[in-house]
Amino acid sequence: MTPIVTVRDLRKRYGDIEAVRGISFEVLQGEVFGLLGPNGAGKTTTVEILEGLRKLDGGEAIVDGIDVTREPQKAKERVGVQLQQSAFPENFTAKETVELFALCYGVEVDAMALLKQVDLADRAGQKQEKLSGGQRQRLSIATALVNRPRVLFLDEPTTGLDPQARRNLWELVREIRGAGTTVFLTTHYMDEAEVLCDRVAVMDHGQIIAMDPPRTLITALLGRGFTKPVIQQQANLEDVFLDLTGHELRED
Amino acid sequence: MRQALLLTLMYFRAYLRDRTAMFFSLIVPLMLLLIFGSLNLGAFGKVSLAIDDQANNAASQQFVAALEKIDTLTITRDTADAALAKLKRTELDMLLVVPKDFTIAPARPGQTVPTLTIYGNASRPQQTSVGESIINEVVTRLSYAVNQTAPIVNLKVEDVQGVRLRYVDFLVPGILGVNVMQLAIFSVAFALVVDKKRGVLRRLMATPLKPSVFLASQVITRLIMATVQVLIMLAVAVFLFDVHPLGGILPLLLVSLFGAVLFLTIGFALAGWAETENQVPAIAQLITLPQFFFSGVFFSKDAAPEVIRPVTNLLPLTFLNDALREISVQGASLWDVRAQLLGLLVWTVIGFALAVRFFRFDRF
Repeated sequence: MTPIVTVRDLRKRYGDIEAVRGISFEVLQGEVFGLLGPNGAGKTTTVEILEGLRKLDGGEAIVDGIDVTREPQKAKERVGVQLQQSAFPENFTAKETVELFALCYGVEVDAMALLKQVDLADRAGQKQEKLSGGQRQRLSIATALVNRPRVLFLDEPTTGLDPQARRNLWELVREIRGAGTTVFLTTHYMDEAEVLCDRVAVMDHGQIIAMDPPRTLITALLGRGFTKPVIQQQANLEDVFLDLTGHELRED
Repeated sequence: MRQALLLTLMYFRAYLRDRTAMFFSLIVPLMLLLIFGSLNLGAFGKVSLAIDDQANNAASQQFVAALEKIDTLTITRDTADAALAKLKRTELDMLLVVPKDFTIAPARPGQTVPTLTIYGNASRPQQTSVGESIINEVVTRLSYAVNQTAPIVNLKVEDVQGVRLRYVDFLVPGILGVNVMQLAIFSVAFALVVDKKRGVLRRLMATPLKPSVFLASQVITRLIMATVQVLIMLAVAVFLFDVHPLGGILPLLLVSLFGAVLFLTIGFALAGWAETENQVPAIAQLITLPQFFFSGVFFSKDAAPEVIRPVTNLLPLTFLNDALREISVQGASLWDVRAQLLGLLVWTVIGFALAVRFFRFDRF
């Protein structure tokens, strides 16, 4: 498979702090790629450079054949973006929000079809600020899909969501990938990375310290003789929670 | 172009749904106009005069009746003590005490004549002096009648005020100016600081949307709002307060919109500078409040202390209000107010430079 995102020796510093210290990786077309790491590892900085929101200090970042440093506007047209802390203008309905973003890209969309795709068709006429956390994340993904992006960037998409909403969002990510869109996500939930990602890169202190499919990383760890004193459980508390409360989304 | 237009329509629709914004852009300005317009601050009004007629004889009744015929006076009968208490509470302008020995009769030389006593409200000197001269005039005329002599000099007084300027005529252009200022600064600064802080602007900048198109939509939305505001205010002024803007509605609207552009640049600079929406009211008040009082909104700009007048005369709202007032009250044309428009232009250039300096899309 051909790489759709190529990063070579990427560097970014803020004053004295070197947030990204010369990282290199490739994201293959059609995969779900996860960038993992603790808070402050440099994940968001890396993603925002790829989205054309930040300038890099050194190295190279290419998305769908376009150098994001040289042609940020053109790169923006090819990607879909969900920012970590983003909001939409107030007094816009969910449908109008999707239409607003279509207008920003200069494209025509069937807003209702997109809302249906993210399971928000029945909220189309509601003001976006009145939506629940999970609904707003799904609306955010709908706005990221208006330009039929080649790569969809999701920065911590499930932070703050309840277990039902998280699973629902995972389902949505799988559907989007199934439709042929490459997904690049950051998360600090390892279970999320394990179920969603084809490959992950682990980042810490501005550097990539491991990169492989999750299974390979786990096997390698076990191969180094790692054991953990666990009692073999057939279920965990989350399974109990979901069994008790059901898988249906809870949204008012 | 089409994109900017559609974006403007979307934002305008959202603006109309924002109850707080509508309250501040339409209801508050209307309240200001209605409240101050009905106060009629500039009018001289009448002189309220209490009379304690202690004589209560034919002569005193004739004297009081003569006073009652005078329109400028509003006369009440009261005892001296009660009236003095009212005077101290400034509920009265003057008190006239007619002594028990009051007569209207020819006086022989050396004879003591009855003495009228006038108490005046020191805090209303204009009213007091007018009242005094009216009473004097009446006394003089009664004296002529009794002495059978005619005045040796006749005085003819003519009004020289060309246009009869009521307070509301003075007020309306000032109200237009101050509300355009408030609308432009506050609506932009608040909305965009919130959008900046919540990450809305950052999200928009992750799309290929050009900042210039976004800014144009924000500016045009506010200019439409300012137009609606100015036209509603002028409609109320014309139909409710019978104000006749001599220079015409269109020049007033154009100058108001020029002012709006100027204050919008300041709003953008403020939105760019402020980190949170809590900083906005403080700085916005710091900018607008001095202009509220020193730029000739509710009273003449010459009310400012003389020391600071060289500064207050150069404030942006002073230029705007002066231009609007000359057009509205004196029927000036746009060419006649070119000096004020030049002042506005200079401020617009300064505001634009500040906006470019502080409102930076690459920092959101």
